[in-house]
Amino acid sequence: MSANEATTTLVAERTGLRSRFAREANATFAIAWREILRAVKSPLSIAFTVIFPVIFIGILGGSISQNLSGALPYAYLPFMLIGMIANTMYQGTITGVTNLVEERENDFTAELFVAPISRYSVLLGKIIGSGLASLVSLVGIIAMIFVMQIPMNFGDLLRVIALAPVLALAGGSLGVFFIGFVQDPKVAGAGVALLVFPQMFLAGALIPVANSSGVLGLLAKVMPMTYSIDLARNIFYAGKPEAPFTVLNSPWLDLAVTVGFFLVFTIVGTYLFVRADRNR
Amino acid sequence: MTPMIQVEHLVKRYRKAATAAVDDISFDVGAGEMFAFLGPNGAGKTTTISILTTTLAKTSGTIRIDGHDLDRDATAVRRSIGIIFQNPSVDLHLSGEENIRLHVALYGLYAYRPFYRAMPAAYRARIEELSEVVGLGAEVFRPLKTYSGGMKRKLEIIRSLMHRPGVLFLDEPTSGLDPVSRHSLWQYLRRVRAADGTTVFLTTHYLEEAEEADRVCVIDHGRIATIGSPDELKADLLERSIVLDAADRPALLAELRGLGVLPSVDEDGLIRVAYDGPTAQPLVGRLATPLTVLRVHDPSLEEAYVELLRTTAESAA
Repeated sequence: MSANEATTTLVAERTGLRSRFAREANATFAIAWREILRAVKSPLSIAFTVIFPVIFIGILGGSISQNLSGALPYAYLPFMLIGMIANTMYQGTITGVTNLVEERENDFTAELFVAPISRYSVLLGKIIGSGLASLVSLVGIIAMIFVMQIPMNFGDLLRVIALAPVLALAGGSLGVFFIGFVQDPKVAGAGVALLVFPQMFLAGALIPVANSSGVLGLLAKVMPMTYSIDLARNIFYAGKPEAPFTVLNSPWLDLAVTVGFFLVFTIVGTYLFVRADRNR
Repeated sequence: MTPMIQVEHLVKRYRKAATAAVDDISFDVGAGEMFAFLGPNGAGKTTTISILTTTLAKTSGTIRIDGHDLDRDATAVRRSIGIIFQNPSVDLHLSGEENIRLHVALYGLYAYRPFYRAMPAAYRARIEELSEVVGLGAEVFRPLKTYSGGMKRKLEIIRSLMHRPGVLFLDEPTSGLDPVSRHSLWQYLRRVRAADGTTVFLTTHYLEEAEEADRVCVIDHGRIATIGSPDELKADLLERSIVLDAADRPALLAELRGLGVLPSVDEDGLIRVAYDGPTAQPLVGRLATPLTVLRVHDPSLEEAYVELLRTTAESAA
C-alpha cells in the first residue's frame, strides 16, 4: 500500500466507509441526491414536470374519454391515468439520465468518471436521483384526479405510486442504453422525445393496445414501457372485474420482463457509454 | 525509489486521425517532484494528461501511477490522484460546498449527508480551513452560478486536495485567472507541496510558472522534444551573456578581443559577450576599460522554449 493510499484509507476508516460496498453505496446516494438538489433548484423544470402530464391527461385523455371511450367495458380515465403515471416516470428518468451527455460536453462528467468508484454506481445514482426527482410529476397527476373527478380508490392508487421507483429504474435503464449510442447532446435531447412519445401510444399509456395487431402489435410487444405500464395496471386492477379487459399479461411476466430489460439496458448501456467516452 | 508516474512507449491515435496525437513517449516523475509538461497547442499535452487520469484510453504503452498499473487497477490509480481540469469541472446548479461534498462522497472520505450541518465535524473543519486558505471564505456556500472564473479555480483546488492525493494533475490551472488569483493559487500549491510532499504534474502556457519545476518536458507533435531541469534546458539551448558599453567603446572592443572573447554589437549599439560557467565575474574582473553599462542576461525558460520549438520546426522542414 502506498503512502497516499494509506492516507485515504485512514480517513475512510475513520469515517466508517471501509468496505467497497459502503463506498459505492455512499457515492450512489451522493449522486442521486445531487439530482434531487438540481431539480429542487430549478423551479421551471419542476413546473414543466408537473404541467406536462396535466396537459396530456387533461386535454388528450379528456378528449379521448369524451369521444372514443364509450364502447369500452371499463372506465377509461383511471385506465389512462395509471398508464400516464408509468409514462411520466419513464420520461422524467430518461430525461435525467440523458442529461449525462450534456454534462460530458460541459466537462462535469470528468469529475464523476475520474472518481475511484464503479461506473455502474455513477449511472445507478443518476437513475435513482432522476427517478426520485420525477416523483414530483405525480403531484400534477394526482391533482388531475380531483379536477377531472376521476373515480378511483386511493388505496389502489397508493399501490401504484409505491411501484413508481420500479418504473423509474426501468425508464432510467432505457435512458442509459440510449446514451450508450448517442454522444451529441442535441441528438440526445431529440432522442428523449423519440423514446417517450411513440411508447406513450404504442405501449398503451393513453390508448388501449390489447387489440393491436400486425406491426403495431409487434411494436407494442417489444416496447419496454408496455410491460411497466401493464405491471402498474395489474397492481391497480388486481381482483377487479375490469382486470381481464385492462391488463395484457400476468404480473409476474411483466415484472420478469421489466427486470430483464433493466439488467440488459443498464449493463450494456453503461459499457457502451464508458467505452464511447474513453475510446475516442 | 519507485517513480510516482512511469510512462513507457505511450501511443494515442484518435479514430480516423492520420497521425498519432501522442507518439511513443516515455518518462518518469519522481515522488514529490514538480514536473512541467509543456508544448504548443495540439502537441499532445491534454491527450497525455487525459490518459494518465484514466478518462481517455491509450492505443498502446504502459503506465504506472503510485505503483498501480493503469490497465489492471484504474480504480487504485484514481484514488491516488487529484485533478484540476483545463475547463472547470463543476456543477453550476450546486453551491461550492455542495460540489465539494459530492467529491468527498465519490472518494469515500466521508459518509454523505444531504445537509452541510449533518456532515462530520472533521469535514466541516477542513472546508472552513481550506476555504480560508484559498481566500474563498464564506463564499464557498454560495451558488456556483455567482462565481467568477478565479473562484471556480479556487474551489477546484479545495476539491482536488480534500482526499490528499499523492499526485496532483494540473491541466493549465491558471488559464483565465487574473495575476492576483494566479499568485495566491501558486502560493497555496507551494504550501501543499511542502506540507504533504505531493507530486505535481503541470501543463501550462505560462512559462514563468514552469520555472520552479524540478524538471520540464517539452512535447511537440506528440513526441518528446527535450526533458531536463529548467537550468539544463536553458544551458543546452541558449547562451548566457553579458551586455556591456563604455564611453570609449573601441577600446572596450579591443580589450575584449585581446582577452580572447568574441564580442558582438547588437541593434542598440551595446556589446554582447557570451560566457560559460556559473558567473561572468572572471571576465568582468579582468576588464580595465571603465564601463558605463553592465547587465547580465540570464535567459528565461520561455526564451529556451521558443528556441527549442523554432529549431524543431526548422529541422522538421
